[in-house]
Amino acid sequence: MYALPYILIIRLHRLALDARRRDRTWRYYAYSLVAGLLAGILTGVALLGAWAMFYVGWWYLGIAIIVLFVLPPLQPVVSRRILVPLGLVRCSFWLAHFISMDDSDAYALCCAAWAHSMKPTPAGEAWIVARRDKRVPLGDSEIIVTALLASARGDADTTRQLMRSTAEMVENHPLVRELAGEWLAVDAVERFAWRELYDNSIAARWPASSLTFFLEGVAARNLEAAGAPSKLEVRIRWLLAPYKRATLRVLNDFAIIKKPGFSVSPPEPGAPLEMPAASLHPSATLPRALGLHLLFGRWLVADNRGLAHIVAAWDAALIDGETQKWLAQRALELDAPLGAVDRAIRDVATAVTEELTRIANAGSLGAPASHGPVGDALARRLRHGRLDALEAGFTRWEDRRHSGAVRSPIDEWREWVALRAAYDAAVAAGGLELRRLAFPHAYSKGTSMAVWLWNTRNEYALSHAISKWLLGEALEVGDTEAIELCTRNCRLAVPTRTGEVKVTT
Amino acid sequence: MSAKIVDNPFFVLGVSPDASRIEIEREAQKLLGMLELEFPAARVYMTPLGEQHRTAEAVRAAVAALRDPYQRLVAELWARHAPAQPMPQRGATERMGWTPPIRRSLGWKP
Repeated sequence: MYALPYILIIRLHRLALDARRRDRTWRYYAYSLVAGLLAGILTGVALLGAWAMFYVGWWYLGIAIIVLFVLPPLQPVVSRRILVPLGLVRCSFWLAHFISMDDSDAYALCCAAWAHSMKPTPAGEAWIVARRDKRVPLGDSEIIVTALLASARGDADTTRQLMRSTAEMVENHPLVRELAGEWLAVDAVERFAWRELYDNSIAARWPASSLTFFLEGVAARNLEAAGAPSKLEVRIRWLLAPYKRATLRVLNDFAIIKKPGFSVSPPEPGAPLEMPAASLHPSATLPRALGLHLLFGRWLVADNRGLAHIVAAWDAALIDGETQKWLAQRALELDAPLGAVDRAIRDVATAVTEELTRIANAGSLGAPASHGPVGDALARRLRHGRLDALEAGFTRWEDRRHSGAVRSPIDEWREWVALRAAYDAAVAAGGLELRRLAFPHAYSKGTSMAVWLWNTRNEYALSHAISKWLLGEALEVGDTEAIELCTRNCRLAVPTRTGEVKVTT
Repeated sequence: MSAKIVDNPFFVLGVSPDASRIEIEREAQKLLGMLELEFPAARVYMTPLGEQHRTAEAVRAAVAALRDPYQRLVAELWARHAPAQPMPQRGATERMGWTPPIRRSLGWKP
C-alpha cells in the first residue's frame, strides 16, 4: 500500500525516459525536465527515509532503502560516473539488471561490456562472453556487447561496423540502442564526421541519449543545416548532457565559434597548391596531382569525392601534352632508350593505380568515373578484385552449411556483416552493372543460409535481417522471382525476446 | 607509390634534379664518408613525406639508379614535381588543441 506512490512515480519516470527516446523535438526537453523532477522526488523521499532509519538506529534498513529506492532512478548516472569508469563489470551488470524491466539481461550485459571496455581484464571478458553466449537466438544486445568487447581491444573499426549493423535487427531494446547511438555519435565527433552524425539524427536511426542529442545539435550547427538549433538551444542541450568540461569544449569549438582548419574534404578544383621551386615546365598538372596524392589519406580524409578528385588530377596530368613534351625533351637530353617516354608514363600510372587501389580497398571506396590511364585501370582493378572476393566469400559461406561447421550466432552475424561490406564495396566499384552481376551470388547463397538459420538453427532475427537485405537488393536490380520469395520470407512474424515482430513490406 | 618519393635517389642524395652527373658522384662520395664517420647530420634526409633514415646502401643504390638514363628520367619526374615542403601529417586535431581521443573524454573507449 505504502509502496504504491513509489511504484507510480518510478513508472512515470520510466515512461518519461521512454517517451524522450522517441523524440527529438521540444518534447525532448519537456520529458527530460519531467524525468529529472521525478528522479529528484524519488531520490529525495528515499534519502529522507534512509536518514530517518539511521537516526533511530536502524542503519541496516537505511542501507536497504538506499539500495532499493535511491539507486534505481540514479542508475544511468551511477553507471556512467562511477561503475563504468572504474571498470566494475559485475556491479554494472547487476545494477542495470535491477532497473530494467523487459529482458533485463540485454541492457545489463551492455553496461557490463561498457565497463569492461574502460578497464579490460581477461576475467571480465570471459564472464561477459559466457553470459552473452547463453543468450540464443541472437539479438541486438549480443551484437552491441560484442562491439564493446572489440572496443576494449582498441578495435574501433569492428566496433563501428557491428554497432551500425544492429540497425538491421528487428529485435529492439531502446536502452541498448541508445548506448549504440551514443557510441556512434561520439565516434563521429572523433572523426569529425559531422555529416554522418547529422544524417543519423535526421533519420532518427538511434534513440538519443542526452549526450547524443547535444552532439547532433553541434553537428547541425557545424554544417549550418536547415533547422539547426539556435545558440540558446544548443546551450540547453549542453546543460542536459554529461561530461560538462569536455562537452563545453565541443560546444565552443564546433557549434559556437567553429574554428577553421577542419576540412574533411579535398580542396576544391583549382585551389592553390605550393609548387616545387625546381619545376621548369609551364604545365602544373603533374605537381598538382602529386601534391594531392601525397595529401590523400594523410591529411585529407580518404573518401569517394577525394579519390575521384585525385584520379581526375592524375588522368589530366598523364595525358597532358606539356608533361609528355617535357618527358621527351629530358629523355633526349639524358640519352634514354627509345620508347622511354611511354614506358615512364605507364610506370607512373601503374604505381599510382596500385597505391590508389590499396587506399580504395582499405576505405571501401568506389571506382571514380574519370577516364584515362589511371581512372580506367583503377576501375578495372577494383571491379575484378572485389567481384572475385565476393564470389569466393559467398561460396565459402554456403559451403560451411554443407560441411556442417556450425558457428556461434554472433560469428554467423559477423560473417554476414563482412560479406555485406564486401558486396557494398563491389557495388561501389561498379555501380548497377556490377550489382546485377553480384546479386545472383548473394541471392542464391543468402537465401539458402537464411532458410537454414531459420529452420534449423532458430536464429530468426538473423535470418530475417538477411532476407530483408536480399529483398532490398532484389528491388534495386529488379529481379521479380527474388522479390516474390524474399517478400514472403520477410512477412513471417519474427519471434524475439521483446515479442513477435511482424514486418510489413 | 610512396616508395617513389621516400626512396627517390635525388632525395636520398639531397641533390637537385638538375644536378649533373659529376655533382651527384661528388655528393655521394661526401655522404658515404660522413656516414662512415657517423656524422649525425648524414643519417637523415628530407622528403615531402618527412624525414627518412639514410644508409650507405641507400646512397650506393641511389647513385647506381641515377647512372641509368631511364631510371634517372623517372626519378626526375617524381622529384621535380613533388611539393617542396613536407606534407602536413594527419594530426590536424592537435593544431587546435584537440588531442585525440575525444572519445575517452566523452566516456567511451577506444
